[in-house]
Amino acid sequence: MADNKKYWTGIEDLANTPVAQKLKENEFAAEVPSSTEFLGDKESLESSSTSRRDFLKYLGFSTAAATLAACESPVVESIPYVIKPDSVIPGLPNYYATSYFDGNDYASILVKTREGRPIKVEPNTDAKFNASTNARVQASVLDLYDSNRLKAPMAKGQETSWTSVLEEVKGELLKADGKEVVLLTSTIISPSTLALITKFGEQFTNFKHVTFDPYSFSGKLDVYEEIMGERAMPTYSFASTKLVVGIGSDFLTGVTGQSLEGAYASARKPGASMMRHIQVESNLSLTGSNADTRIKVGASDQFAALVYLYNKVTGSSLPVSSIKEGSLKSLDNVAKELIAAKGNSLVLVGGNDANAERIALALNMALENIGKSIDLNNRVYLRRGNDKELYSLIDRMNAGSVGAIITSGLNPVYQIAEAKGYAKGLAKVGVKVAFTDRMDESSKSMDYVLPVNHAYESWGDAVPASGVYALSQPTIKPLFDTRQFEEALMSWVGESGRYYDFVKSTYKNQYATLFGKGWNTVLHDGEASISSEVEAVELPEMDLQMAAAELAKIKGGKYQVAFYQKQGMGIGNQTNNPWLHEMPDPVSRVTWDNYITISAADALELGLTNEHQSDGALNGSRVNITANGATLENVPVLVQPGQAFGTIGLATGYGRTDVGKAGNGVGVNAFSLMNGQHFANVDIVKAEGVHEFASVQMGNTMMGRKIVNETNLDTFLNGSVNDWNETPMFHTYEGHKNSDETNLWDDFDHETGHMWNMAIDLNSCIGCGACVVACHLENNVPVVGKEEVRNFRDMHWLRIDRYYSSDTTEETEGYEGLGIIGEGVMDRFAAMELPSESPEVVFQPVMCQHCNHAPCETVCPVAATSHSAEGLNHMAYNRCIGTRYCANNCPYKVRRFNWFNYQANDDFANVNPAQDDFGRMVLNPDVTVRARGVMEKCSMCIQRIQLGKLEAKKAGKMLEDGAFTTACAQACGTGSITFGDVNNKKAKVTSAKKDPRAYRLLDEVGTQPSVFYQTKIRNK
Amino acid sequence: MSKLLKSKRQFFVFSLLTIFLGMSQPLFSQIEGDAANGRKLFKANCASCHKLDKKLVGPALAGVTERRETEWLVKWIRNNAELRASGDADAIKIFEEYNGSPMTAFPQLEDKDVMDILAYTIAGDPKPVVNTTTGPTEAGSNESENAEFILIALGLFFVLLLALLIKVRNTLKEVKGEAGTNVLEDASAFTKWLVNNKVIMTLGTVVVAVWFLSSLYAYLMSIGVEQGYQPVQPIAFSHELHAGQNEIDCNYCHSSARHSKTSGIPSANVCMNCHMYVDGSEIIDPATGSEKYNGERSPEIQKIYAAIGWDAENRKYIENYEEKPIKWVRIHNLPDLAYFNHSQHVTAGEIECQTCHGPVETMEEVYQYSPLTMGWCINCHRETKVKVETNGYYEEMHEKLKAKYHGEDITVEMIGGLECGKCHY
Repeated sequence: MADNKKYWTGIEDLANTPVAQKLKENEFAAEVPSSTEFLGDKESLESSSTSRRDFLKYLGFSTAAATLAACESPVVESIPYVIKPDSVIPGLPNYYATSYFDGNDYASILVKTREGRPIKVEPNTDAKFNASTNARVQASVLDLYDSNRLKAPMAKGQETSWTSVLEEVKGELLKADGKEVVLLTSTIISPSTLALITKFGEQFTNFKHVTFDPYSFSGKLDVYEEIMGERAMPTYSFASTKLVVGIGSDFLTGVTGQSLEGAYASARKPGASMMRHIQVESNLSLTGSNADTRIKVGASDQFAALVYLYNKVTGSSLPVSSIKEGSLKSLDNVAKELIAAKGNSLVLVGGNDANAERIALALNMALENIGKSIDLNNRVYLRRGNDKELYSLIDRMNAGSVGAIITSGLNPVYQIAEAKGYAKGLAKVGVKVAFTDRMDESSKSMDYVLPVNHAYESWGDAVPASGVYALSQPTIKPLFDTRQFEEALMSWVGESGRYYDFVKSTYKNQYATLFGKGWNTVLHDGEASISSEVEAVELPEMDLQMAAAELAKIKGGKYQVAFYQKQGMGIGNQTNNPWLHEMPDPVSRVTWDNYITISAADALELGLTNEHQSDGALNGSRVNITANGATLENVPVLVQPGQAFGTIGLATGYGRTDVGKAGNGVGVNAFSLMNGQHFANVDIVKAEGVHEFASVQMGNTMMGRKIVNETNLDTFLNGSVNDWNETPMFHTYEGHKNSDETNLWDDFDHETGHMWNMAIDLNSCIGCGACVVACHLENNVPVVGKEEVRNFRDMHWLRIDRYYSSDTTEETEGYEGLGIIGEGVMDRFAAMELPSESPEVVFQPVMCQHCNHAPCETVCPVAATSHSAEGLNHMAYNRCIGTRYCANNCPYKVRRFNWFNYQANDDFANVNPAQDDFGRMVLNPDVTVRARGVMEKCSMCIQRIQLGKLEAKKAGKMLEDGAFTTACAQACGTGSITFGDVNNKKAKVTSAKKDPRAYRLLDEVGTQPSVFYQTKIRNK
Repeated sequence: MSKLLKSKRQFFVFSLLTIFLGMSQPLFSQIEGDAANGRKLFKANCASCHKLDKKLVGPALAGVTERRETEWLVKWIRNNAELRASGDADAIKIFEEYNGSPMTAFPQLEDKDVMDILAYTIAGDPKPVVNTTTGPTEAGSNESENAEFILIALGLFFVLLLALLIKVRNTLKEVKGEAGTNVLEDASAFTKWLVNNKVIMTLGTVVVAVWFLSSLYAYLMSIGVEQGYQPVQPIAFSHELHAGQNEIDCNYCHSSARHSKTSGIPSANVCMNCHMYVDGSEIIDPATGSEKYNGERSPEIQKIYAAIGWDAENRKYIENYEEKPIKWVRIHNLPDLAYFNHSQHVTAGEIECQTCHGPVETMEEVYQYSPLTMGWCINCHRETKVKVETNGYYEEMHEKLKAKYHGEDITVEMIGGLECGKCHY
């Protein structure tokens, strides 16, 4: 066999001809129209000169050509290191503990690198503060490889070198010193950076450092500054909390900086001491979706509700503006519950109003919560912006008294509403320097644009909270000609050496004795922490009368808009990240968009509609909205169940014009309407045209089926299991049997060896979506873009279904199980599909259920999907011929088909990160990148299972529970996903399986899945 | 330039020799030792830092006996630090000349051993016997060529004979007065008979069809199977020399095979562990018996120096050198869709490298020994026994497996080694 071959050593020459190059770059030599274009256009079909015979000729020829081309193997080069770094073994990952802070999200993380490339972010579970990763932190590794990053410093539009630009800027700054020199930054938590800024400021006679948070908490921070003497937030604790009342506060998404989801989930373990959660809010937020009781009030009424509660609880009579009748009774009940839970409750108020924060503090004090659930001694430093200083700066800029401005970590032109006059003022500033990662909306009008390192290319330190000191370290050499902001400062203040040495000396001089750990230990661990050293704080007397009077003055108009942060986009630091666009919003399930959320009643009044097309895709009306003097045109409208009447919601972070190929022109910019507060009065005018949404979920209710099993705490505690978690039984000739005993097939042997199972606790899943992004990273899941998501061709291996409760049930509609034929039946079902106006919300992560009697396996004509002895459903991509029988036969609809070659097809060049040389570096080398025409699905991270077993075999030890886990379980901040071997009696998943809350999805189908769920318990 | 240098060197050696012959007769007579034993000792103890004719870590040792007193040499070799400590000016001078890198002390060497080594520095390496007989490899290749030639000649001869016989037959027929038959006519008559004979035609069609289909199948199945693939590598590296003759363990260079999924092509700095000292100038060509590269450094080894930036003259790495990675041609190419992990097989499975890679230690140039097809993988997984008794990982599982398979040997197949998802994900 070997003799009949010729081997070319010079094949590179052959392969690199322009033609070959072109063919390599494009999937097709010429552009192939997409199916809708091609088949939909009758004219182009008729005008085509290609006859059917020609077509067949081409087909025959290309088949023959492809066959011939396949016969020759290419020459593959294998290039080893010249000098191999000691720490790198090709094929094995290295982990670096570091911390991530982008001005909004803070997390203590481990960065996984392969052959020197960061490819995955994992939570640093040994850390004390924010040791969990949300979707944005998970996705941050892709920002590193963003090819739209600025690659070299620019001076007045010209590319230049760092040495010359730093010198030039320094000269200009010194010249501008007669006037004010301003440094405008996002919140800085690094003591080294702050020390450098102080030193830098000393060089000027008139220097000012202004801090600004785009999604502002300035009002709240003013209050805490009065009380604690520094701009910081208190830490919140659920450890002994029995009742949490959120008033417009989306605290589960970490808006105040502190990650609370882990503590929240552990406080809500089902049992007698389960914490109760009441949410009073206008938008249906992620936090509100998880509440046991949710009370809808308009945006400005939230404050009135707070004052009303205060009056009820304390018996005082602060002035309060009127609240709509309906919610008063519910608020009375909340007040009663709060009084009952005195000392064990927590009231959190949202928004950015100092007076509201004062009253919330007073309420918590009255409820004896200070020092328990609210800790004023342990503080969080992640929000430090000061709006008053910012607005005064803008005034001075407009007055022409600012000689130079340096911005860092901000995009003020985008983040500050135009009416504030920042852009106008900027034009009057002499020297304008921006430290930024890209040529964004603001950088365009700056004289000097200096590209900064990504967080994973940088050294740094951070004090995110009291008693916590964290380090960040580079995990890769800078990809482009970029530097850290701090390095530039060092060169300007004449500090020699590297920034690394500066950070090290800061630690040694200021923190080493305090934390009692060596530099290397802290660097290895990523974080050092001690218990609080801050002195106890006495709450000063607050003028509540005045505060309430001020709040009462806030008059809500007919319509108000409440601004919120989406799980995906946050404040828009990562708008060019396609993973975050593709991740569906947990509540609305819409991808690649922001929009106004509006209640059905308001939509009806304004003549706004949402309609599903015949193919299921969602279309919506458009509106023009005007708030704070600014107008956004053609904003899409999404009718949102649970939205308060008179209030619309709008997410920040979208509507960027200069962020890059994936994020440009997606959505509208909510910051342009914001005025420091988190809501505003708004005028809504219907606009022309229809907006096409890319929503991944059509059905909004469970139609009365047991998909998400839920019950209330009382039934759970006092009822029998059959009351709330009945196992489906089958009628057989031998009597009633459960699905395990009723088999059509022979069982596999699942006693010998491992049996992988996954438990998903629906009670602790908050729907945040970190697992969805983690799965994307780990498994090279392709991004398909808005059009394809709209066609329901999204590729998520793991989706989080969201169901609303419906007012119509089988019982109320008199459904008697008579089938689906008959008069009025269709109407009845249609009614059941409608979510109620104040729905209860449940989230359910669904991935491949790894059925032990899998319907997909039996229908595959080529045995591409098969069962493993370890309880998994395997998928051999290369065996798959794409019949899609398996997807049709899957009751859980978790199989995804590769309709296109997403990593090479030009149509996806803007959205798929694997299409450019940088984005490709983030791919996990242990997982195949799937080709067009094959089916794919969750593999239960089989690469991790195999590696975990191998490590145990190499060490000659039995596999321990928790030695490895799947990407989704690892990313889950609430610990709701548990993975393990049920043949290991000590494994967590084994005890979860025996728990009475456990049930299997669609158990009545008899698929015997390896994934099972834990019943959701509502505390009401 | 190099010629000039060479002639200069020759002149230098010549003048040294003259001095040596003229002056050192008495010194020479002092050293009586077994040069053969000395050579052994030299290779074992000294060769990593010294050569006879060239400066390595330490000075060249040819003619050292005439530069130094024998007594001094013995002291120096035994324990040079002591000698330096005693304040010996020469010793200190040498120490400083070589950047203060101390020579290892050899207190274990007897006087006789030292004498043997010194005798070896005078006598030098024995000239290898020149092998004048033709190698068996050449003969082998000649043989096959000859056979082909003979076959062709024989064929021509038979064709000629046939033509001659026909001619004779026709001539005889003509003599008899009969009409001579034409070969073509005969052939067409035979063909007609053949075509009309249905049995033969049917059988023939079946034979041809079977042959065609089986060769088509064999051809299609061979697509992508690169067994025997032996590309030319950028450096003519011989596994036969390194792994075979010098018996270097595979894992020394391919160290990641034990830990990682890749076996790892050694980085140039691993090569330098040895090739800092071994530069190829000592290689003797077995054909001619003289130095293969005329005492110069091997051009192949110099490629490593060029990659890593090693200044062989001054014996140091060039600063700020732009490294030039070596682009080896990959021989064993598994498709991306198959996940293979070396450490799984080497460390956990305790499989010998040769099981898959063949007798690499005999390969001058490595080729792909195994077909690397899925059938080949599967076959091995069916036959290979798992180390259930010795590996602690199987402790609990082993009992269950024994019960399930009634004490049969546990193969990889039995623990799921044939499942798709074990290699394809």
